Formats: sequence, C-alpha cells, structure tokens
Amino acid sequence: MGEAIVITSGKGGVGKTTTSANIGTALALQGKHVCLIDTDIGLRNLDVVMGLENRIIYDLVDAAEGRCRVEQALIRDKRFECLHLLPAAQTEDKSALTSEQMKAIVEELKPEYDYIFIDCPAGIEQGFKNAIAGADQAIVVTTPDTSSVRDADRIVGLLEQEKIGSPKLIVNRVRTKLAQEGDVLDVDDIVQLLAIDLLGIILDDENVLKAAHQGQPIVMDPDSHASIGYRNIARRILGESVPLMALEEKKGFFAKLKSMFGLKSSS
Amino acid sequence: MKTGSSKSLVTIKGTKDGLTILLDDQCSFDDLKSELKEKMTRDQHLFGNGPEVVVNVDGGYRYFNKDQEEDIRMIIEDTKTIRVGSFHSEVMSREDVKKELEESSLTTMKQIIRSGQVISVKGDVLLLGDVNPGGVIEATGNIYVLGTLKGIARAGIDGYQKAVVSASVMTPKQISIADVYFYAPERHEREENADEPLFDEPVYAYIHEEQQEVAFEKARYFHRYPSIRRTS
Repeated sequence: MGEAIVITSGKGGVGKTTTSANIGTALALQGKHVCLIDTDIGLRNLDVVMGLENRIIYDLVDAAEGRCRVEQALIRDKRFECLHLLPAAQTEDKSALTSEQMKAIVEELKPEYDYIFIDCPAGIEQGFKNAIAGADQAIVVTTPDTSSVRDADRIVGLLEQEKIGSPKLIVNRVRTKLAQEGDVLDVDDIVQLLAIDLLGIILDDENVLKAAHQGQPIVMDPDSHASIGYRNIARRILGESVPLMALEEKKGFFAKLKSMFGLKSSS
Repeated sequence: MKTGSSKSLVTIKGTKDGLTILLDDQCSFDDLKSELKEKMTRDQHLFGNGPEVVVNVDGGYRYFNKDQEEDIRMIIEDTKTIRVGSFHSEVMSREDVKKELEESSLTTMKQIIRSGQVISVKGDVLLLGDVNPGGVIEATGNIYVLGTLKGIARAGIDGYQKAVVSASVMTPKQISIADVYFYAPERHEREENADEPLFDEPVYAYIHEEQQEVAFEKARYFHRYPSIRRTS
C-alpha cells in the first residue's frame, strides 16, 4: 500500500510543480513505483514540466466523473516504466472536482504504487481542499522570502487542522550568498519560524529552467546542484539519513541542520 | 363506383442504376404499406433465389420519418434476396436541412484559441489565427488553420474518416481524425531543436487508408486528396 503525499505551498510560483516532478522522478530512478497527480485544474503544468503533455486524452476530472477508468487517464512515462502521471483537466475549473471524488481516486491508486505525489494548486480554496483530501502526508515548499514563508505558515496551520501527518519542509531556490550576508531569510530562520521538520533544501539553479524548457526533470541531469538536492530529498523520503549539502560556508549552520536530520525519520 | 384505385401505388422499374421501387406519394401510408407487402410477396420470384439484389427506393414527394423509412425497408428486405441500397425522397424535414447545411458549411473564425479553450464547430472550420498549446479546435468536418497549430485539432468528430486538418505551420500536440490519433513526440524526445515546428512547410493531416493512421502531406498536394467536401 503506497503513501499519498501532497506537495503544497499556499503561494504560487515557489516550485510545487517542479518539486513534484523531480521528487517523483528521483524516486522512480530508485525503482519505486510513483504516480504523480496534478490537481491544478484549469492551469495544469505538471505534464509540461514532465514532458508528458502530448498523449493526454483523459484527465483527472474525466476519471472522477466516470467518463473513463482512472487507469485510462494515466500517462505512462516512457523513460521509466514505474512513473505515471494523472493529468489535471485544462478546460474546467477547480469546482469540477469534489474532495470525495479526489479521495476515491487516491484510494484506488494507492495499492498500485509506492508513492503518490499530489501537486497542489496555489491558494487555499477548493483546489487546495481537493489536493489534501486523499493525502496521508504533506510537504510544504517555500522560498526564502517573507511572503512565501507567511503563506507556508498559513498552510501548515490548515494542514494541522486537517490532521494530515506532520508536514515536512522544503526550502526552494536558496541563494547561499544572499543568506550569508543576511539580506534574506536563511534556512535556519525559516525552520525556526515554521517549526516543522526540514526535508531538504534546493539551491537556486538556472539549470532547472533549462530542464523545464526541455520537458526533462532536472534530476535526470546528475550534476546540477538542484538535481543533487532533489535526489537527497528522495533518499530521505526512503528513510536514509543524508546530510545537507553545500551550505558549509556558513559556520555552525550545517551542524545544526545535521542534527535535525539525525532525528528525522521518513514516515 | 370504384373502391380502391386502379393505378398501382407501388411500381418496380428497371433503371440504369438497377431496380427502383417507386412509391406513390399521395395515398395513405397504410395503403402504401399493405400494397408494398402484397407486391413483394407476389413478385418474389422476380428477384429470384440467386444472389442478393440491391434496390433503390424512391418515395417521391412524401416525407418519411425514421420509423416509416424503417417500416418500408423491413417490408422490402423481408424478401430474403433483396437489400435496400438507397432511400430517396424529395422531401426533407427542416431539422435535417438545418443539419445538412451545418455539416456542409464553412465557418470562418478570427481569433487565437488559447490554453483551456475548446472551439467546436459543425461542418468545416477556417481559423484565421493560432491554436496555442492547451487549446483545442474541433469540427465534424475539416479544419484549416491559417496560422500556427500548436495545440490540439480534432477533425471529423462525428466519425467522418475523410476529414483533414491543414495548417500553415503544423506543430500540434495531438491530432485526431474520427477515432484515429496522432501524438507528436514530446519535447525531450525530439532530436532536432524542440522549438522548431514539426514541419517546415504547410501540410495537411489525413487518415492513411491502409495503415489507418494519421499521415501528413504537403499542402501543395491538396488537389490529390480525393474529397475534402462531405457529400451526404
């Protein structure tokens, strides 16, 4: 029986979709059976980032409404046979789906996969409610800017109300130099403020943009900073204890985070 | 005093297109049916026991609705060796006329079909503009895009297999004609620059009859395509 993990943030543009695509792909690279569900109905993107947009015929709403079987709506990634995508509908809006329908679909898929990642839309309305409806766990993505962290805090509150596990944090687009100079929030500040476990950080990396343009998740390029970040996160999800990378420049910080990871166990 | 007309209501005629059964268009439908039934039983030997004979039915200026047409067919085809080829009547209902007009019409549109928009047309459609990725243009007939097709085009959505999709710049995500699908390679699957169009000159897509798959041909060879107009 697989685990359903929602990837959410509140704020838009912080990297939920990129995170979903890359963690999913990283776990598929490890041979895990992974299903990605795009719940951003009307503004779907996960198919584009994954490079799996051309073969879409049916989508999440078709499956929910019974216009097709869930299995018919799944797009199989030709690069890894264990990676599937359930795309969102593009021609409808968030109200086209109910939480109950979403829950039913996730329940139906769970036995078939090791991990199901649910890519959540921005906002806290119906789309968010649908995305978390079937989830067992949550990953909150934020960037090191104040508004994004505020929204993440709001989301953590909502997740706690819904009694969804203890959410894990990913800090995306970290710029070491700016943080060192104290010009932006550093990861430590964010972790303290949100008071949830840090699952990993992703360094700001222009290769992410390039990869998205090609429809090839960045984790498939083994050398980029972002790729290593995502691979590490995948390993932590699998229960390995992996130290945080590349922030050694800042004294004391590494050690602090390391101790956090020492405690962390992946659900 | 005469009871019943001496002129027969059902006439079987040999024409250059084969046998035609002419039906009177003034009498009552019930009279017509009973005479047809009688004649078909009586004249069965005319059609022989040999191979199947295809006959055409000409109903003159009588309107036949679906059930009535079916009744007539049943009576005729009850004779085992006869099959009704065409069923002709000079009269159509307004509804059918409207449908036929729609099916054979060309709708011209001037817009960009953007992501999430679905434009659905009866008959053929000429789009002066682009179809962006995530946008869909569909028609029961043919689709002509005087612009760039980057999204999805679905021609012959009622099952018309001879429909075509033509575009000045053809670089779709997906094309379907009737129930035959074409999927473009994903960006990462393309060897050349994925930002270049799939075809570097105007082409049209059609169903390759033998292979039953969507094929592409240069638009300049359009004149070779047998029929781009639906004939009902």
